[in-house]
Amino acid sequence: MHIVLSGPIRLIIAAVLVFSLFIDGAGYVYRIANHLPLTGDVAGLPPNFGGWQLYFHKGLDLAGGTHIDYQLTNFPAGQSRADVQQRTIAVINKRVNALGVNEPEIRGAGTDYNRITVDLAGVTAAQAQKTIGAVSKLVYTKWVPDAKVTGGPEPGYKPQLTGLTGDDINSASATIDTTGVSWVVNIGFTSRGATLFDNLTRDNVAACPGDVNTSATANCPQRHLTIWLDLTQQDIDNWEDPSYAGKVTAPYDPGCLATQAAGTVCGKFLTDPITIQEIPGGNATISGSFTQQSANDLATGINSGSLPVDLVALDVTQVSATLGAEAVKLSLAAGLLGLSIVVLFMILYYRIPGLLASLALLFYAGVVLALFKFIPVTLTLAGITGFILSVGMAVDANVLIFERFKEEIRAGRTIAAAVDAAVRRAWPAIWNSNGSTLWTCAILGFVGPSAVKGFALTLAIGVLVSLVSAIVVTHNLLAIVLISSRFRRASLLGVDRVRTV
Amino acid sequence: MSELSDVKAEEQAADIVPEGPAKVPDKEAEPVKPPKVRRLNIIGRRNLFFALSLIIIVPGIISMATHGFRLGIDFAGGTELTVTFANHPTLPQVEAAVDSENANGSVIQTTGGGYILRYPPLTAAQTTNVQNDLQGKLGPMTVAQILEVGGTIAGETIEFSLLAVAIAATGLLILLSIWFHNVPGGWRAGFQFGGSAVAALLHDVFVLTGIFSILGKVFGLRIGEIDAFFVTAVLTVVGFSVHDTVVVFDRIRENLRVSQRLSFEQVVNLSIMQTAARSIITSFTVVLVLAAILIAGGPSLQGLALALMIGIVSGTYSSIFNAAPLLVVWRKLQPVR
Repeated sequence: MHIVLSGPIRLIIAAVLVFSLFIDGAGYVYRIANHLPLTGDVAGLPPNFGGWQLYFHKGLDLAGGTHIDYQLTNFPAGQSRADVQQRTIAVINKRVNALGVNEPEIRGAGTDYNRITVDLAGVTAAQAQKTIGAVSKLVYTKWVPDAKVTGGPEPGYKPQLTGLTGDDINSASATIDTTGVSWVVNIGFTSRGATLFDNLTRDNVAACPGDVNTSATANCPQRHLTIWLDLTQQDIDNWEDPSYAGKVTAPYDPGCLATQAAGTVCGKFLTDPITIQEIPGGNATISGSFTQQSANDLATGINSGSLPVDLVALDVTQVSATLGAEAVKLSLAAGLLGLSIVVLFMILYYRIPGLLASLALLFYAGVVLALFKFIPVTLTLAGITGFILSVGMAVDANVLIFERFKEEIRAGRTIAAAVDAAVRRAWPAIWNSNGSTLWTCAILGFVGPSAVKGFALTLAIGVLVSLVSAIVVTHNLLAIVLISSRFRRASLLGVDRVRTV
Repeated sequence: MSELSDVKAEEQAADIVPEGPAKVPDKEAEPVKPPKVRRLNIIGRRNLFFALSLIIIVPGIISMATHGFRLGIDFAGGTELTVTFANHPTLPQVEAAVDSENANGSVIQTTGGGYILRYPPLTAAQTTNVQNDLQGKLGPMTVAQILEVGGTIAGETIEFSLLAVAIAATGLLILLSIWFHNVPGGWRAGFQFGGSAVAALLHDVFVLTGIFSILGKVFGLRIGEIDAFFVTAVLTVVGFSVHDTVVVFDRIRENLRVSQRLSFEQVVNLSIMQTAARSIITSFTVVLVLAAILIAGGPSLQGLALALMIGIVSGTYSSIFNAAPLLVVWRKLQPVR
């Protein structure tokens, strides 16, 4: 126990305190260091210290946004469920990115890879569901002459649906080609797709034969097979309007399609490769000047035409940003009010020790908040409640020590002896009682429903820090302050009488 | 520091941790005794306190059995919209508008002047239709929150919650039996300590759930609604209840070692008196914090704060008036050694 009172421990405590305050006030540290105004929006926040983004990660109920739990059904047979889940997540990610969401969170969950959880800040539930659940359809077109077409990628030609669609594609993936240098996208067709594709590519080559690399005549529009998402016959009927054709030929834009107002035309184009030769066998490769990124994007684009599974929304939560901000304000007010009441009570009831415990409590609050930023813990309403409640728990350890302290004083010990004995004898009770709370937190964290997990985590962090705060910080403060005889008076210690040595 | 060496001398006498009673030192060397504690005979009046608990628990259990709970959206499933209207329509106006949709919706007015609209599970398109319909009938509407909970999730939340309580109780029983098996009497005594603590814990859970069943169903109050937050509260109370009981039990264990002359009943009573101040002060401060949340924390946290408050008051009561007396009764029925 005496090691607790040693110099190195005191140094560590001081260092932890300073470090915590640095993290708590990271925003202000950054502003001061860069001579920026202390209030208002400035660039570069939240500050990034060597890769650590130090700010409070707010859950959706505080930040506002939409949370959806999806059930995955109709898994394709014969594929690894984990892969299918990952692919679905990639597709959702791609679609969500089009919405421009800040830090979207899309996680796999569920036993047997059958759930996906989506958290999108600042998006309404309707928008989110429309974007994610959109059933976009991939179509292949070939080009047919139409003298009236003046715009679009191939003047004089318009696309024609070929009957080959996303349903005929098993999967698309980005890989490095056999030379090991360039990125390509491989497409695998179903048996029906393979036959159709074979016929289409044979027609392509027959339309203007020759080697596309050497013969200029071989590179005619009819030799291209174009991939679109959601291209309809109606779009094709409008091809003679050059501005319409131009807009449709813009890159595929799921965000535009999700929020499409009447009269707007969204980009639906994916890629327009030339057919080098007839491709039998059901496997095609699209090559070109791909980077890893663009190859992946194209593969995801092709795949997103066909989500590998069906998505069923199990629950949807939409919280407006104003309600979230309100909740933050209210819970902060509640926390401050609670903390002040506790501090006031402790000082009135326990006098000097109460004051010291209040200081320890501020240490505790500073460290816990720093941990929230550092780990980082995503704060939700329930999580903040857990934190506020843990203030009460933090007080308990102090109360245990002080009540014991009074007993030891009554039993006739000197003050220093009483402090030491109080901490030592209160320890089993503190440890056992907080241990049972930690145990409950652990069970909540593993078994509880997701809303409860945040609560369990913050409460557990609070309980752990409160143990340190009471045993180490309060103890040290008591030992330091009570060296001075000025404070060793019964009235200041909240006891009846003090033994003088 | 001369005072520190002074402690050591005393501690050597007082702080021995014996496995058996034989090693306990001469008690005259222990200056802690006899502590000046008011002699309230709690153990002697235990039947009174058991009866008091039953007065609260029995109606609660009857209410739970006959009425069940008022279920929040988390458990009932469905779609819930929290909205405010720019034109401030009255409750009957909103109700009329919702009724005319024929979507089986119901309306609750909130304290802030907004409304909570509840429907059976709606699809995304239906939710949009409902919103457009209301805007058309009642003017501009701000949607603060939309919750949609399908049957699967609602069922899982209930399942997980029950599972969590069961695992927590079992786990705590084992944990406490291990912690307390070093009291005189060994594992059987340890199990008695653990069992009594878990009984007090179940007492608190029943008090809390019973009161909420009565509040929600008998009085029809919205604060008595149970949701995921309520589950959080119950599980926190589980932790807190044991937390409180363990402090008392820990003192009993300590006193059993140092007070060989006292009967078990006397030791328990003494320990209760020694820890009562701490139990009440701690609960009091936690209740103060909760009162702050109840007043300032906004509607979404009020139910949670109330539940925690009931649970914590009950937890303190049960640790003083139920857990320790129960331990005495158990010892009488099943003596150790």
